[in-house]
Amino acid sequence: MPPTDNQGSFLNRISIRRNQVVYEQEVEDLEQFQKHVADRLSELFHPPEDTNSSDPPETLLSIAWFRKLLDVFLCCEAEFKAVVIMGRDANNFVKSPLDRLIPEHLDRTVKALDICTAIIHGIDLLLHWKKLAQIAVDSLQKKPIGEGDVKRAKKALNTLLSSITIDDKEKSAENHHHSTKSGASSKDHTTIGNLRSLSYSFARSWSASKQIQAMSSNLTAPRGGEPTGLVVPVYLMSSVLVFVMWAMVSAIPCQERTGLGAHLQLSKQFTWAQPMIGLQEKIGEDWKKKEKKGRSGLLDETQRLENLGLSLVEFADGFSFPVEAEKAEEVAAMVAEMAEICGRMDEGLGALQMQVRELFNRIVRSRAETLDVLDHVNKVTTPVPY
Amino acid sequence: MGSPETDRITPLEQAEQIILRWDSSKPHMIFNSDNRHDIDNYLSAVDLIQQSTNGKIAENNGQSTKVNTLVQIAMARLEDEFRNILISHTTLEFDSVNLLTESDEDSVNSNGSRISRNICEFDVIPKDHINDLRLIAKRMMMSGYFRECVQVYGGVRKIKLDTIFKKLGVEKLSLDDVQRLDWESLNAKISKYIKAVKICVRILFASKKRLCVQIFENLGYEGDEDAGDVCFMETVKSAAISLFDFAEAISISSRSPEKLFKIVDLHDTFIDLLPDIEDVFCSKSSESIRVQASEISSRLAEAARGMLYEFENSVLREPSRVLVPGGTIHPLTRYVMNYITLISNYKQTLGELIVSKPVTDSRYSDDLTMPDMDFGDHEGQSPLALHLIWIIVILQFNLDGKSKHYKDNALAYLFFMNNVHYIVQKVKGSPELREMIGDSFLKELTAKITQASTRYQRATWVGVLYCLRDEGLHATGSFSSGVPRNALRERFKSFNAMFEEVHKMQTLWSIPDTQLREEIQISISEKVIPAYRSFLGRFRTHIENGKHPEYYIKYSVEDLETAVLDFFEGCAVSQLSRRRSL
Repeated sequence: MPPTDNQGSFLNRISIRRNQVVYEQEVEDLEQFQKHVADRLSELFHPPEDTNSSDPPETLLSIAWFRKLLDVFLCCEAEFKAVVIMGRDANNFVKSPLDRLIPEHLDRTVKALDICTAIIHGIDLLLHWKKLAQIAVDSLQKKPIGEGDVKRAKKALNTLLSSITIDDKEKSAENHHHSTKSGASSKDHTTIGNLRSLSYSFARSWSASKQIQAMSSNLTAPRGGEPTGLVVPVYLMSSVLVFVMWAMVSAIPCQERTGLGAHLQLSKQFTWAQPMIGLQEKIGEDWKKKEKKGRSGLLDETQRLENLGLSLVEFADGFSFPVEAEKAEEVAAMVAEMAEICGRMDEGLGALQMQVRELFNRIVRSRAETLDVLDHVNKVTTPVPY
Repeated sequence: MGSPETDRITPLEQAEQIILRWDSSKPHMIFNSDNRHDIDNYLSAVDLIQQSTNGKIAENNGQSTKVNTLVQIAMARLEDEFRNILISHTTLEFDSVNLLTESDEDSVNSNGSRISRNICEFDVIPKDHINDLRLIAKRMMMSGYFRECVQVYGGVRKIKLDTIFKKLGVEKLSLDDVQRLDWESLNAKISKYIKAVKICVRILFASKKRLCVQIFENLGYEGDEDAGDVCFMETVKSAAISLFDFAEAISISSRSPEKLFKIVDLHDTFIDLLPDIEDVFCSKSSESIRVQASEISSRLAEAARGMLYEFENSVLREPSRVLVPGGTIHPLTRYVMNYITLISNYKQTLGELIVSKPVTDSRYSDDLTMPDMDFGDHEGQSPLALHLIWIIVILQFNLDGKSKHYKDNALAYLFFMNNVHYIVQKVKGSPELREMIGDSFLKELTAKITQASTRYQRATWVGVLYCLRDEGLHATGSFSSGVPRNALRERFKSFNAMFEEVHKMQTLWSIPDTQLREEIQISISEKVIPAYRSFLGRFRTHIENGKHPEYYIKYSVEDLETAVLDFFEGCAVSQLSRRRSL
């Protein structure tokens, strides 16, 4: 070191050191973020054995489970925004590859917002099913069960089952035709089909499945070795977003879901992806199985309602008054289970709807803030249209 | 009283028979017949059966199970009857709504009646049929079949609602779709939507609610909610959410300034509708709808603010370097002044929405090109007014930057003068705008016009007038000595050349405002003409005494006076005419 340069290089060294410290802190923040996500997700997917008895058990894909999933997502999202977007030197966002990756992420958020809207409508349909199930429960809880009660329950259950298993694409075209005829001949069936299509939030051409596909088609795993360390977190956030949307669409009735099962592929290389991948495989398989029988969705409560409904209709078909004690007990157990599911739906669906709404609002806000940061850094202005 | 044998049928058995006669397999409707007797009979039968279930609950015998079956049969039948009445008698609604979409939606149709404020309702189902529906609903509720009743009601009404929505042009667009639309289409859709949403809230939903009340009033409760409310929500909830989805999408979509006024319109619509929404959706279960509506209003307000901010930014940064020929009004000036005039027309709403002062430090922290502005002189003016002033300040700033691209300084000043003058004219032309901008700022602007004009004149004419200066041409003593003829000739020649040059160029320049043009022309004349006249007066004889005076004294004073009138025409004029009289 030449003697005259002493001062300069000393200061240089300090500032390099300071930058290094800041850099290390940033890197650590990013790693912490990924770790938190991994922890939360794995806790969700493999819940600890000793849950409180007062909380409903979080069966995978149940309403309670989804509420937790959304909670987890909201936490991740908040951390993502704080750590990756806001706390950064925004100049990184205009350099490759983030200059492409972040707008892609923002595009996914637009689709996610539409999916949230569709889900909110879908939850309304779930509430409708609950009401039908409730009729059956009320009639079959009478002691003793009379023929009238059984007929009543059967009618409600048939309506419920038809609605659950209706194949949206084929039947809705027929039903649309039926609905233009007026008069007393409109059957429950027609009404069911119409009601199903009325719960569609968007024009007929919109497809939840296609939206998910579009969201995940350009989601490619980063190759690593990228200096800012931001590419992986962005990929993480996008992946979690797509996963959550995909899971919700698979469970809750949504417009047009053909081929949903195959539309999500996550890269195996990251730890935080492991829990999601496990679940993704399970959902994918279940979806394929169910797709042939109609697309009610994989929500745990729906599945159980469907199974119970089928058993109870069977019972109703073979009913004769009075019912033998053994059979009565069997039926009582099934009805009790159905009643419990209704109770859970009552409690949980309203809250879930509000959570999805909260999710919607949060995504809107984060999107706006991210766009602000980008505009700021791009020095972008809208051209004046004179 | 008939014979003992036939009268052995108890009223209860009679009722059974009636009910069994009308089981679900029969296609005809009881309530369709004009025979009130049939209807009354049936309903009495149902009542009887219903009464007989009380007290038989614990009995586990054949009688109670028969009754149980009969009740179910009766309820199934009543369900069908209920559905049928609803389906057959709701066409009225359709046409009424049709009428409204064509006419002014604020006028009350003769079928309607006012309930509160703006809410106007329709008798969509004739009273008789409403009564029948009530009769049926009562029986269903009393037998514990309320849920089925709600399902039927909701099922039919939702379909009708959907059809009406389509007629009103309420579209189900996703956010994705909305982002992709061009402004013209979006603008049209928003206008249509504003009309539709008013009709939906104030007429459609309100009348649906009234109908529910009419049918289910005082019939009881479902849980802790009034039966009518439950029915209403069943029918309308998801439709209402769908309806608001569009406004939501608009409030989220991209913020380009041209959307500002439409967004404000939409915002105003929602603010106006909020009390009506609270009225119609007053139950606990409809809270989410009220919340969504008010969230939408806030988002629209935010969007409006964002757009104003975006506008200010784009005016400041507008980068075009294309020079307007002849220094005339720049399209940016026109656009901005039109825009802020419109803002002043919207001052009522925008005044409420815009509550903070303009941001005058740079959005881009390392960018130093920002005008200086101290709002201290503008205490007591509303934030919106401050924004308008700020917009004018940054417009000027931008124009100033643009002017520097003209190669000729004089043209640069002319350009600036023209545009600031236009700004002032526009402000004066709109009373609202003028009131908000304030006269003191207006004075500042006017001073800038004068300053620019002075600079222009100096830039152009100093050189020309220099040719007519006395210096170096003094006659000392006698005629024949002192005045250097050659120098004099040079002077005349330079003056002519310069004036011709200026004439050639500056006839192509433009001052669009006639009054301003005259003023400038007069000002030029006042400087040039007397100087030329006196120069000519003093020195013409010297030239005329020499050879070819016409080479040097080309123009008379009148020629020049005429020539000045050519200036700033904005187009080429014929060459300067030579003196006609000397």
